[in-house]
Amino acid sequence: MTHLSRRSLLALLGSTGLAPSFFSARASELQDRKLIFVILRGAIDGLAALIPDDDQLNALRTHTIPDRDQRLNLGNGFHLHPSLSALHGLYRNGEVGFVHAASTPYRDRSHFDGQDILETLGRGSERDGWLNRAVQTVGGTGLAVGYDLPLALRGAGAATNWSPPVFTPASEALLNRLQALYDGEPTLSEPLAMARATGATEMSMSGRANGPAAQYAVASKALGELMSADGGPNIGMLSFDGWDTHANQANPFATRLSGLDTAISNLKASLGEAWQNTALVMCSEFGRTARENGSRGTDHGTGGLVILAGGAINGGRVHGDWPGLRARDLHENRDLAPANDIVSVLKGVLRDHLSISSSALRNFVFDNRSAVMSGLVK
Amino acid sequence: MSLRGALAVTRFGLGAQPGEIAEASRDPEDWLLLQLTRSAGDGFPDQALNSSKVQLSNALDYFQNRRDDAAGKDQKRTFRRMVRQTSVAEVSARSSHAASTKAPLHERLVRFWANHFTVAANSPQSRVIAGAYEREAIRPHILGSFADLAEGAIFHAGMLVYLNNAQSIGPNSRAGRRRDRGLNENLAREVLELHTVTPAAGYSQDDVVAFAKALTGWTVGNHRIGKDRKGEATFVNLLHEPGPQTVLGKRYGGAGSSQAKSILRDLCRSPHTAQNIAHKLACHFVADSPPESLVAKLKSSFLETGGDLPMLYRTLIEAPEAWHTEARKLKTPDELIVSTGRLIGLRRVLVGDAGKVFESFAQIPFTAPSPQGWPDEAEAWNGPDAIMKRVEWANRLANRNSSLDGPDLLDAGLGDRANPETLQAVMRAESPQQAIALALLSPDFQMR
Repeated sequence: MTHLSRRSLLALLGSTGLAPSFFSARASELQDRKLIFVILRGAIDGLAALIPDDDQLNALRTHTIPDRDQRLNLGNGFHLHPSLSALHGLYRNGEVGFVHAASTPYRDRSHFDGQDILETLGRGSERDGWLNRAVQTVGGTGLAVGYDLPLALRGAGAATNWSPPVFTPASEALLNRLQALYDGEPTLSEPLAMARATGATEMSMSGRANGPAAQYAVASKALGELMSADGGPNIGMLSFDGWDTHANQANPFATRLSGLDTAISNLKASLGEAWQNTALVMCSEFGRTARENGSRGTDHGTGGLVILAGGAINGGRVHGDWPGLRARDLHENRDLAPANDIVSVLKGVLRDHLSISSSALRNFVFDNRSAVMSGLVK
Repeated sequence: MSLRGALAVTRFGLGAQPGEIAEASRDPEDWLLLQLTRSAGDGFPDQALNSSKVQLSNALDYFQNRRDDAAGKDQKRTFRRMVRQTSVAEVSARSSHAASTKAPLHERLVRFWANHFTVAANSPQSRVIAGAYEREAIRPHILGSFADLAEGAIFHAGMLVYLNNAQSIGPNSRAGRRRDRGLNENLAREVLELHTVTPAAGYSQDDVVAFAKALTGWTVGNHRIGKDRKGEATFVNLLHEPGPQTVLGKRYGGAGSSQAKSILRDLCRSPHTAQNIAHKLACHFVADSPPESLVAKLKSSFLETGGDLPMLYRTLIEAPEAWHTEARKLKTPDELIVSTGRLIGLRRVLVGDAGKVFESFAQIPFTAPSPQGWPDEAEAWNGPDAIMKRVEWANRLANRNSSLDGPDLLDAGLGDRANPETLQAVMRAESPQQAIALALLSPDFQMR
């Protein structure tokens, strides 16, 4: 894999308009803090990933959780799915933590509405994403690796995306003429300008990804390299599809978890030293039913799983509350109850890691409905 | 050539073949309306393609008989080759028909409805029948009523497999009481949410479960159910949840197989469904935010005619709002590929590995990311990287086909819809290749 040129990455960072020497020590340390948001589209089955040591579980699940002797012990009332072995190591190292039974304010069960809510949070009526508002607050440019720019990163702040080139890059001469021709047509001119500023067409990625799990691995490695390059962006996003496991869940779920496990290892490796200053938050639009359905799968639910990772994370623990699995504990007698608020988790990470003020979190990035969860960041 | 002729071909059709704008310009509305006949849609090259019944039977045989030994490896290889060949043949037939048809509005409607009732290739079973589903459940029904189209789609084996109804068993059915499997509510939820009334109808989780129970019994025949029904959609009473169900306040008794169909008939008549379809059709043909007056016209037509689809299309074609020139849609990658294929020949467009072109644009036919289908609005397709991929693709195409003529492409492809600025940029290009690339990448050609 080749590297981005320094020039093009500085261009990517360009909207800060400040040379590095203008920063104080504190500011430049802040400047290095990295935030990565990963959306797991389709709703990950949290109970099968982070498995509570709870006798009720046997009554709820038969085919969708791994056998007891294969689970990886966290020693605090929870086990991990065996496909998460790298996460298990990072957890013991204090670099991975979890919040179980977490949800956005959304209480219905449409993936599409649920994802829109998770990506816009707090300003549901507007079509701009909370991660973009975070970019506007801390400056710089947000970067997604993937073919499209996810809703969470769309908005007034600078944001771009990149995926491996398939064809030979076009000449500057053609790009210049096109840029002029697109003048007055923002649907085309703005993305073209952003893509040129990214300049990442110089980068190539070896190997093609087959299947969703392989795509997670390729995308995460590329994001880590782009973010850790000199002057690389500080806010990144990935979108991992394929978690809607309604039938015969066990095998496809294990494959995806293992892809996710590799993705986090790849991010650690490709971020290099920057991993120490990184906080990664991973979650879905909602959870799944506590009870298995009639097809050895699970249906759309409420309380879901948040995975926290990175050197900056206060890991080695499961944060927040655990609602339990007795019939009366379940939401509408079917879903893991929403005991924790995803917005609180995000507020906690943005306040303590990116030093975004509580008032900016309340009035701009999110709204005032959720408290800030403390203790998620070292 | 006229501006209305160019609009008919580029907005309502699939993009111009050389000479098509001149032909449509004689009477643009008539040119469109004449395509709304059954025979206009003929000619789909399905001679080498199998029916869903044959495809599913083969898949069921494989999953039933596969072995763990060395012979099993051969079985697996053969099966995988069959799946791959099926995908390639289906994509190729669909693309070449779209690039060559003389009834592009008809074809555009097939694609619109196939996307509305999405069956995506997300498992080996759905991979082998996604193409057949479109040919069998959608293509023959786009000129009838919405209710008939919906019934044909939802009770087709492709949909029953894709949204897991084939595995759903009534908890109190005879089979349900004996086995550890039971209800799957996926199909019921998506029919309510996406295909018909949408959440605006205010249905509850209880409505979803009741509809799911009514749908139990609708499955795909396998070796247990009987040899003659293998691979086809069928109703098996043994799996059906007995008793009446209440959906959106109405109680449905009825014999097992008619219960779910009665519920679906009522859902199709709902004003919420009319609103859903009217809005979606206007978004697809006219603009991401279509004029409210147009949506209202389409909705009234739907309600007044009981969902008669040809009348709905006629209302769209006759509405002045649908012909405004300032409203424009960004072509999806699939639309871009097809319209370029109509203009210069599909073989030139899908140079080398055809699959790679679709893949690099992240829109491989029959692989929509969710039951919602492919998105239709610009913001889903104009990410910086996506636009750069279009530039690189057109650049390569231009370099390999330098005998094409940039200004001719504008004239044949856009007629009076080409802007003077675009023509000027193409005329002033520094090489023939650059002129071709600029013509194909111009806002006029990238949008419709």
